[in-house]
Amino acid sequence: MDLRYSSDDLAFRDATRRWFETNVPKVELKTLDERREWHRTLFAAGYVGMGWPPEYGGQAASALRQAIVADEMARVNAPPTINGLGIGIVGPTIIHHGTEAHKHRYLKKILAADELWCQLYSEPNAGSDLASLKTRAEDKGDHFEVNGQKIWTSYGAISDWGLLLARTDTSVAKHRGISCFLINIRQPGVDVRPLKQVTGNQEFCEVFMTGARVEKSDLVGRLGQGWEIAQTTLSYERGGNSLARVTRYTSAFHELVKAARGLRRGGRPLIDDPLVRAKLGRIYAELEVQRYAALRVLSALDKGEGPGAASSITKLSYSEFEKRYFELALEILGPYGQITAGLPEQLNTRVSASSGHGETWAYAYLWSRAGTIYSGSSEIQKNVIGERVLGLPKEARADRVK
Amino acid sequence: MDFAFNDDQQLLKNAARSFLDEQCTSAVVRGLWDDPRGESEAMWKDMAQLGWLGLSLPEAYGGSGLGMVETAILLEEMGRAAYPGPYLPTVLAAHAIAAAGTKEQKARWLPGIATGGARATSAFVDSDLSWDPATTATRAEKAGTGWRLSGAKQFVAWAHVADVVLVPARAPEGLTLFLVEPASAGLALKPVTAIDLGTRWAAIALDNVSVGPDAVLGAPGSGERLVTELLRRGSVAASAEMLGAARRCLDMSVGYAKVREQFGQPIGSFQAIRHKCAEMLLEVENSHAAVYYAAWALDAAAPDAALAASVAKSYVSEAARRVCGEALQVHGGIGFTWEYDLHLYQKRAKALEPMYGDADWHRELILRHVTD
Repeated sequence: MDLRYSSDDLAFRDATRRWFETNVPKVELKTLDERREWHRTLFAAGYVGMGWPPEYGGQAASALRQAIVADEMARVNAPPTINGLGIGIVGPTIIHHGTEAHKHRYLKKILAADELWCQLYSEPNAGSDLASLKTRAEDKGDHFEVNGQKIWTSYGAISDWGLLLARTDTSVAKHRGISCFLINIRQPGVDVRPLKQVTGNQEFCEVFMTGARVEKSDLVGRLGQGWEIAQTTLSYERGGNSLARVTRYTSAFHELVKAARGLRRGGRPLIDDPLVRAKLGRIYAELEVQRYAALRVLSALDKGEGPGAASSITKLSYSEFEKRYFELALEILGPYGQITAGLPEQLNTRVSASSGHGETWAYAYLWSRAGTIYSGSSEIQKNVIGERVLGLPKEARADRVK
Repeated sequence: MDFAFNDDQQLLKNAARSFLDEQCTSAVVRGLWDDPRGESEAMWKDMAQLGWLGLSLPEAYGGSGLGMVETAILLEEMGRAAYPGPYLPTVLAAHAIAAAGTKEQKARWLPGIATGGARATSAFVDSDLSWDPATTATRAEKAGTGWRLSGAKQFVAWAHVADVVLVPARAPEGLTLFLVEPASAGLALKPVTAIDLGTRWAAIALDNVSVGPDAVLGAPGSGERLVTELLRRGSVAASAEMLGAARRCLDMSVGYAKVREQFGQPIGSFQAIRHKCAEMLLEVENSHAAVYYAAWALDAAAPDAALAASVAKSYVSEAARRVCGEALQVHGGIGFTWEYDLHLYQKRAKALEPMYGDADWHRELILRHVTD
């Protein structure tokens, strides 16, 4: 056991820190073009797709190096890359399961953010039970025709392409009749409608596909392999960002302490109230535990040990913690915590929540409800942990085909 | 950066597991409940033979010079076995003697401890329940070349078998740590019985107990720093033992949920049980990260070592209590019986929960670390 960074990694961290301190945008990026520009600056500096193999434009960087970059970005509250799902999920899926033609056609444009990507997985009636999805892809000889509806599509409104799960065989068990496709969503048969969330923002979309076209060559893997491919893509999502997430939580914590010094109750600053101190201490302890756990996962990833089903523990842990964190924060701040506009000057800080955007406490509080639902709800994570980590017997299920 | 145990550490863990599985069965633990000493002399000697008692002591005094990570590995296994005996208080006090003692003090105590001939403990808490060394009320007055100690100490772990007790007392120079032998005139020891029969506490009354000038550990007035360091180490040590107890309860619950059938199926197939087990695993794994991060930070003298010790103690104190409690719930009625072993581990975790500062106190310390 040795938690020190090597001197090489320390030098890399210092160089990364200097780069971000110099280059982080000084003003908030508002337009898509400004964000694309920033993405390309990051790409040119070697900070995008670092973990990809060199032959596809990456550097095969270690998990630790990737985590260092994410962490340094969080430290200066740098805006995220614009093509997160493309870089984090679609690219690796194409690298693992795609053809040479796929790799040639798509990967470079993902890295350079020439084409932005979303994931077309969930449906109105296929949430936790994703494998029951009903969107059909029918073989029309020279192409597939897609009909159906997707929902909770992050970044759908700005995306050009989607990684699609659709049913190609209704005669077999539901997990085996699903295939994975690459679909151009800028076509007449695809209608993308933003969905307003409880936060008031519109990050998610509904996507309606009516007679939409997918080229034959854009099938990923074999027909019927879609479910298996989706299982591997879900595991790409976790691990590398965990340190950065803690760094953002920690910045927010220091803002909370600042607020607790400024606000008064019963004639004294909140920071002197033992009840408030107990809550702050509880948050910080849990925050540090998240950091230690992130280091543990990172050290395993760095040795090439994929976390597998244990990544469900990470996801369950941070998402449930985030809810507790912002609940306590809003208990401490009282009604001030709910203000979205018109905050007193000393409280008007940009809280960096897990969304990666600097926002108000109110926004961070509302957004914290998303984490225990997206990419497998807490209940699904607990099922995975129970079955695949602890080896508990599967439950009796009406839809399970023997 | 590597969070995993190295080969030597893994070997130590495996050796501890097999020794305790064989020598410290629940039958052995139960057999010691009615024993006035409450521990096994033979097991203590075996532990000395295995090098466990001198694990973190300097080689010059019969030790192996290893660190807190290795100590935590052993303590986790001891928690897993609900080992009854003065291992934790002894190695903790020995570490303080090694760190702050004179050559004579070290020669007097350390070789004996390393070879299993002596046991030690520390008396942190006065009648005031605070773990803040600043609240120590026990007094030390100069008497000739030596000192006279008066006061009352509570919850001194394994004091009835200790050969030496570290006693913080308030001297004119400030808080000072004294090495006191329980046989000293004026010292009265009163054992109490608590829910964990494998943990023994005693109250110690000091009525003008005379000690020589050589009883001072470190310089007069250096006690606050020494006690703070001791409590820090004790916090991580206790957290490691609670972690072991919690993991044992989790393992027993998972094992039971696989075989116990109700409604025609193993209860582990029901989400009500499976989700509980998943939550328990989450807290156990987070506790593992907290314990070993803190242990490593102490060994590496990392700038956040003090913070990490408080994080571990505050987190694991509550996590272990919850995990052990949920284990009882998974088991149902059988888990509530005296015959079933679950309560051994549940009570061990509970006994350690308030020791070296409870979760509330450590959260306050954490806040001082981050905001002062």
